[in-house]
Amino acid sequence: MMTTEAMNRSSTQPIVNGDYDIGAFFDEMFESPGVPRPHYKILLDHLTTLNAGTFEERRRAADISFLYQGITFTVYGQQEGIERIFPFDLIPRVIPHAEWDILERGLSQRVTALNHFLHDVYHEQRIIAEKRIPARLVFGAKNFRREMIDIDVPRSVYAHITGTDLIRDEHGNYLVLEDNLRSPSGVSYMLENRQAMKRTFARLFENYGIMPIEHYPQELLSTLRSVAPHGDPDATVVLLTPGVYNSAYFEHSFLARQMGIEIVEGRDLVTHDNHIYMRTTRGLKQVDVIYRRVDDDFLDPLAYRQDSLIGVPGLINAYRAGNVTLANAIGTGVADDKAIYAYVPDMIHYYLGEEPILQNVPTFLAENDLDRSYILANLDKLVVKSVNESGGYGMLVGPHATTEECERFREKIQAYPRDFIAQPTISLSRHPTYLNGELSGCHIDLRPYVLAGETVKLVPGGLTRVALRRGSLVVNSSQGGGSKDTWVLYD
Amino acid sequence: MLSRVAESLYWMSRYIERAEDITRILTVNFHALLDARLEDSQQGWQSLVSITGDDPLYKRNFPEYSARNVSEFLLWHPSNPNAVMACLTQARENARSVREQISIEMWEHINKLYFLIKEVNRSAVLRGPHEFFSQVRDGSQAFQGVTDATLTHGEGYEFIILGKHLERAEKTVRILDVKYATVNTMVEGTPEASLQLVAMLKSCSAFEPFRREYASVLQTSRVAEYMLLSQQFPRAVLYCLLRAQRAVGVLATDTSIPMSNQAARSNRTLGRMCAELQYLDIQDVLGEKMHPLLLKQLRLMNLVGDEITRAYFNTQVILPGPKSQQQQQQQ
Repeated sequence: MMTTEAMNRSSTQPIVNGDYDIGAFFDEMFESPGVPRPHYKILLDHLTTLNAGTFEERRRAADISFLYQGITFTVYGQQEGIERIFPFDLIPRVIPHAEWDILERGLSQRVTALNHFLHDVYHEQRIIAEKRIPARLVFGAKNFRREMIDIDVPRSVYAHITGTDLIRDEHGNYLVLEDNLRSPSGVSYMLENRQAMKRTFARLFENYGIMPIEHYPQELLSTLRSVAPHGDPDATVVLLTPGVYNSAYFEHSFLARQMGIEIVEGRDLVTHDNHIYMRTTRGLKQVDVIYRRVDDDFLDPLAYRQDSLIGVPGLINAYRAGNVTLANAIGTGVADDKAIYAYVPDMIHYYLGEEPILQNVPTFLAENDLDRSYILANLDKLVVKSVNESGGYGMLVGPHATTEECERFREKIQAYPRDFIAQPTISLSRHPTYLNGELSGCHIDLRPYVLAGETVKLVPGGLTRVALRRGSLVVNSSQGGGSKDTWVLYD
Repeated sequence: MLSRVAESLYWMSRYIERAEDITRILTVNFHALLDARLEDSQQGWQSLVSITGDDPLYKRNFPEYSARNVSEFLLWHPSNPNAVMACLTQARENARSVREQISIEMWEHINKLYFLIKEVNRSAVLRGPHEFFSQVRDGSQAFQGVTDATLTHGEGYEFIILGKHLERAEKTVRILDVKYATVNTMVEGTPEASLQLVAMLKSCSAFEPFRREYASVLQTSRVAEYMLLSQQFPRAVLYCLLRAQRAVGVLATDTSIPMSNQAARSNRTLGRMCAELQYLDIQDVLGEKMHPLLLKQLRLMNLVGDEITRAYFNTQVILPGPKSQQQQQQQ
């Protein structure tokens, strides 16, 4: 335990000191020791004036306001105190306009190609017929949904909301780590983090020239409206949640409130004559667009899992009849399968005739014989991922794994090659982050949110996730990660 | 408004009110009973449990009635679904499930209140509860204040008003029932009787308002009349029922479809209760007749609750379709 005297001394220490170590990584703030990149200069000048005591005070104020506002997520597998706030770091990440410009064009291009791909595999299947992507990969994907074949969806858009995870390598190049096309979460943290930053560092905002993101809910609503059945401009849009006990419930309720739409649970909806209605105090009201935060498998107990209590019996028939739009569509999971991810650059060539603006992380498919022998020979150097898992589960980080873990994965890869891919260990870029009274470099990633409806658009920003355990490469909230506000600057 | 949302608002409001009421009853009697003799004090603590209606449950968990046991039972004992802790948890869960329908301020207040009781030093509260009690009361009242000031006074608001007033009316009836039985055995005008009457009034925050209305000596009949029949005091039974009836009226008329059978029923039941009290002469129900009257009121309050549930929360699904089909279903 620290003595009071020691605590007092440390609380008057500046948080920016000579101890900050860039290491062998790409550091987002510092070009070289003590020299900030131009877009971080104002921020660093401000941080230099703060001591640990003041900073700690502001941090606590922000944490308490998150807790009181109920901005929490639920951790499973623990008894009491299951509600936690998603740790928030007050040092923002800054992205210059020119960099953002590339990301915006790159992500729009990628999501456009993915939507072409989804339309294609559920209709003509040209890309398979022309052997640009192996048929067995597509049809063998766990989330390929046969019942979507020949079903037309409004504007041929399947992935209305995409959360693509980007990382930067040791040279600062942005790479796509994965596309999340099934109800990506976290956007509420992006919005709430900005609010918290404005409360805490109001003065910094005055002269920094930070592009706003607050209009995200409006953009989302207009995207959802634009894909209503029969192009109805006054469509009734609702958000379907699994319920209060879902770990992302805060986000569901936050978005519904911001959009001014009803948040419904399965039991609030009924099907009649292939139309969907919600039960209100004034009787039944028809629903046109469902922004669903429920997985495919649980949507309709008549079509998928019979034990689902959070679904709506008859929903799939109403959907197939074209009387209701689901966002995202059913079956988008086939495109964020990690083996199919490897073919996204090919999709961009094939459907758009363009060069990919953003690169993938080099990926080896255990499915291919050559790749597999390479993976098995280099398990200790690679990151192995299960193709269907997300959230940092089912992963092997070779350089940090024990021999037994490696052997376990070796057996699984040999038994089920289709289920695994491997990527070289990328040394993720690092960002100064407040830990125990001073700034330390922590690994980060970036998840911008791409909206696709009548047009494809992004709000300038995203969720920057940070690995708060020293040296950890995993940034997921369920694995001890936190987040930062992300500032995209004006030109 | 979604039926589920209406139901959550209604119960959120009832549970907050219940937490506040139990806290108040506990505060008032905690102080009054410190002055009483031991055997009186045991009886006094028992009467507190009776007010909540959870006597059998208490007996299963505690051997005897004491300040410590009863406080623990009413505040947070895990066996008691109506303990203040349980009520605030329920209120918060209901609020959480309708986060997007209530104002940010309401949510912040209910959260603060919840964490207040969840994280409080429990043994310190049992030693000296006064400050804690005022915090809960302030928290609940602040919540009701911001509800009034920040929530649109539309349909959802009326469900909140309805829940709050039905809960209050019920608690006032129960306080009156238990305390009146005690006072009735005492000689009017003795210090013991006066002490009980003061505790009865304070249990509803009615002491000073009563004093302003009746500047004379404390008389049992007047106290009963005030708590039952006042149309101005916000915790009097009649006041609460009138306000609840107004809410039901607004809910039933403010709609494009004709009032459903069930909605009409709750309106009628409340109307009958109000009429009975409005034309009541307190002299006719003193003594032995008080208890049956109050029991009847409690029974009707339960009935109203059921009717509201059927009218708005568990509505029978009548599907839109061809006319003939609808007529068939209505038969």
